[in-house]
Amino acid sequence: MTTTQDTIHETAAQGWVGRGIPQVDIEAKLRGQTEYIGDLRLPNMAHAAIVRSTVAHGRIRGIDTSRAERVPGVLAVATAADAPEVKFGPYTPDWEILARHKVRFIGDEVAAVAAIDEPTARYAASLVEVDVEELPAVFDPFAALAEGGPVIWDEYADNVSTLFTIERGDTRAAFDAADLVVDDVYATSRMYHAYLEPIGVIAHYVDGVHVLHVPSHIPYRARQTYSAALGLPLDKVRLVVPPIGGSFGAKYEMNTPLIAALLSRKAGVPVRILFGRDEDAAYHRPRPPFVFRNRIAVRADGTFLGRETDVVGIAGARTYWSPATVATAVHRPDSLYNFNAMTGRGRLVYTNESPTTAMRGFGNAEALFGIEQMIDEIAERLDIDPVEMRRRNIVQEGETSLHGWYISSSQLPACIERVSEMSGFADRRRARPPATAGERVGKLRGTGIALGHHVSGYRPILPDYDGSSAILRLGPDGSIQLYVGEPDVGQGHVTVMAQLAADELGVAPAEVKVQGIDSAFSPAAVGTLASRAATMAGMATVAAGADARRKLIAFATEQWGVPEAAVSWQAGTLTDTTGANEPFTLRQALHRYGVVNCGLPLLATGVHHPKTVMPDATKYGNASAAYPFAAHVAEVEVDCDTGQISVVGYWAAHDSGTVLNPQTARGQVLGGIAQGLGWALMEDVIMSEGVVRNPNFLDYRIPGAGDMPAGVEVEFVDAYEPNGPRGAKSLGEVALNPVVAAIANAIYNATGLRCKDLPISPERMWRYLHLGEPVESSSAGAIR
Amino acid sequence: MSHHQEPSGAPEVGIELDLNGSPRTMIVDPVQSLASAVRAEGLTGTKLGCETGDCGACAVLVDGVPMASCLLPAVRAGGRRVTTVEGLGTATELSPLQAAFMRHNASQCGYCIPGILVAASPLVDRDELTRDDVVSELTGNLCRCTGYESIVDAVLDAHQQVRSGRTGGAA
Repeated sequence: MTTTQDTIHETAAQGWVGRGIPQVDIEAKLRGQTEYIGDLRLPNMAHAAIVRSTVAHGRIRGIDTSRAERVPGVLAVATAADAPEVKFGPYTPDWEILARHKVRFIGDEVAAVAAIDEPTARYAASLVEVDVEELPAVFDPFAALAEGGPVIWDEYADNVSTLFTIERGDTRAAFDAADLVVDDVYATSRMYHAYLEPIGVIAHYVDGVHVLHVPSHIPYRARQTYSAALGLPLDKVRLVVPPIGGSFGAKYEMNTPLIAALLSRKAGVPVRILFGRDEDAAYHRPRPPFVFRNRIAVRADGTFLGRETDVVGIAGARTYWSPATVATAVHRPDSLYNFNAMTGRGRLVYTNESPTTAMRGFGNAEALFGIEQMIDEIAERLDIDPVEMRRRNIVQEGETSLHGWYISSSQLPACIERVSEMSGFADRRRARPPATAGERVGKLRGTGIALGHHVSGYRPILPDYDGSSAILRLGPDGSIQLYVGEPDVGQGHVTVMAQLAADELGVAPAEVKVQGIDSAFSPAAVGTLASRAATMAGMATVAAGADARRKLIAFATEQWGVPEAAVSWQAGTLTDTTGANEPFTLRQALHRYGVVNCGLPLLATGVHHPKTVMPDATKYGNASAAYPFAAHVAEVEVDCDTGQISVVGYWAAHDSGTVLNPQTARGQVLGGIAQGLGWALMEDVIMSEGVVRNPNFLDYRIPGAGDMPAGVEVEFVDAYEPNGPRGAKSLGEVALNPVVAAIANAIYNATGLRCKDLPISPERMWRYLHLGEPVESSSAGAIR
Repeated sequence: MSHHQEPSGAPEVGIELDLNGSPRTMIVDPVQSLASAVRAEGLTGTKLGCETGDCGACAVLVDGVPMASCLLPAVRAGGRRVTTVEGLGTATELSPLQAAFMRHNASQCGYCIPGILVAASPLVDRDELTRDDVVSELTGNLCRCTGYESIVDAVLDAHQQVRSGRTGGAA
């Protein structure tokens, strides 16, 4: 049978970028041959179990591991005594490999056992006795902010892990001049990444080096963290990244790999920690919940004059990526809309709960949930069309937004126009939402619009550098290996890297083998986060391809003894235009290069320095290489008897610049819609007293095939981004960012009820419909 | 709960079964799941996503019927025909369903895909198959990446291909 994979071997006359080809690594996935962390076995590998705190807050008086150590088959037991006495973390040094003096949440890692098999490890772990003096705990962020409550970290007596403030322009004057001020509170929920592959790691301490097999999407940053935690130089920690079974921001594990590392060093054998879904869902690091108080000042013609935002986010008991998500939640919307002046404050608050971290959308989707609904409210109150309202206030191409972000390309106006046309927005939308309870009967339909944007990389992630680098290794045997440092988390950018390199070298993508990440030979990349991989690694790949061509031309020049200008390169063939020499195919040239250089492969490199600026002390500076945009329309049906909401239609128009691969690009948008739908309507990590009450896929339900609307329409408008590879910019997160708000706006259009808390579950909707209107978010009283 | 079960030391049981078309004897723990047993045989395409029967990543065919192998004791597979994702195609050829998944790029991270392929594989042989049928039959399979569209399209496409093959090309 001929498969599509075969067609990839043909050389495309028009080039490979822009063609919808399946992922280059898809066949192994379809055959079940892809080796994920749970499939990998090292010789003599031991299995570990973690001993976790069962109390939310307490002082550790003692840990007795003696009974566990006596269990036959136990190879090592680790506690904080086995770890260097250092604290570490990506933003705040409030992480420990194992809890030393205090436990701070239910699930906090206290000890771990390695044994010959998992049942033995789990049994022995159950015998570790942790003597804890229980302390009062706090689970509500506003209670944590109140004076006199429990203090989780002595260094942060007010329980504020991070305070982010920003001010631009004269906000006070803006509000004084306003014809209309809207002031509202919106709250977003704790969300589980719910990747299908649970967390796992294999650590192997060998020859003085910790070799960590970790499915991490930010391997370089993770390696810095791990080496700091272990008190070792960088080269004593090696990260090998296997294929990743979904991440969405979660898989930069802070201490699980380190626990495995301690055990491996102690036991002298490789040690695997592999979570079951129960452990993963109960003790994962979720998307931080946020409460927003937003005020927007508007002129009667619908022009925004200024805004204020006050954001409270939950860090949990340790600080993970959440400081950056709070900062994003406070100020990123200012590069979508021109609010002209703004004042923002974000407080990230410690609670006695599992630490929260990055998830797709990264604070921006959260902010837009409120802002996009408030824009609809403003439009309604000023009797302006909601599409026109948005069109009037968006930041345009060529403009520098409020915080110094330069919008090098934006086809957002085209996205708005196209999504309106595709969806028939004006005709589909209910002219007037039901105003009274009596009108809210049966099944009601409504349509909503929302915009979204994001970044393509973010300068502050890694203080040292922002760009990316790539290595092409062209072997004497004709093989082509590409090394980049940004892992593929399933979105398919290994495929677009292969397409980009293929075009540079005049070969087919299947001939470019994009290598897995190993810190021993991969570039030390910033990682796959902030929607940066395709843009940054893509630029580096193109640069490496150009370097390879330069080196090949120089080699042919030398071999043929002709002027360099006489050597031409076209579609993978080197030609002597003087006609004195036979042409070299790429394969012949590489063979010859190897012969002349005693087997040396031709090594080409590419370095990409994006035109970004580290934001200054006032947070001003062009933080990203490029900004993608989207306009989405959702149609919902609300069953007033049950409160059940179905998304029955969906339309998305995107500006991601040049679309490198329409097939993988469409997949990103569909996946983003699915996650947004789940977030809007279904998903909620239910916690009480610090315990996750729904740690499984039955009670924490993510969207299934039946939850998705049929016939989703996705269009990429014609666009070109000068700072991206072949004109491309990012897509992964902008695909999610408008979804929740578009659905919420559709629900308002259907019911006349403005939903300000997530998720808009059937129960919540039913209560709104039958027990009174949701005039305010349930968090409104706390933040006002 | 016991996960990623390794043999626990209880008295073992020998079972004979047809595994991906070949007769096989497996020595299993009485409480070991079929998922754990086939993975111990090196067939790691069968994935563990939840071990509570909620996600479908571990689906295998038992006598042609998709089942959550994480919940099925391996001893119950004795004397039966078990097909895992590794048994869908041949060494040289993908099955029509796998080939359709490739054409539609119906995979992202790929972790759920073996279970989805197995669960969907009986569908392509049906006489009639609608989009609603596919959606309904895949209710037990979760995917966090794709939004399902490419998967449903691929199943329908494979069904068309197989049906046109059966009717001599006149679909």
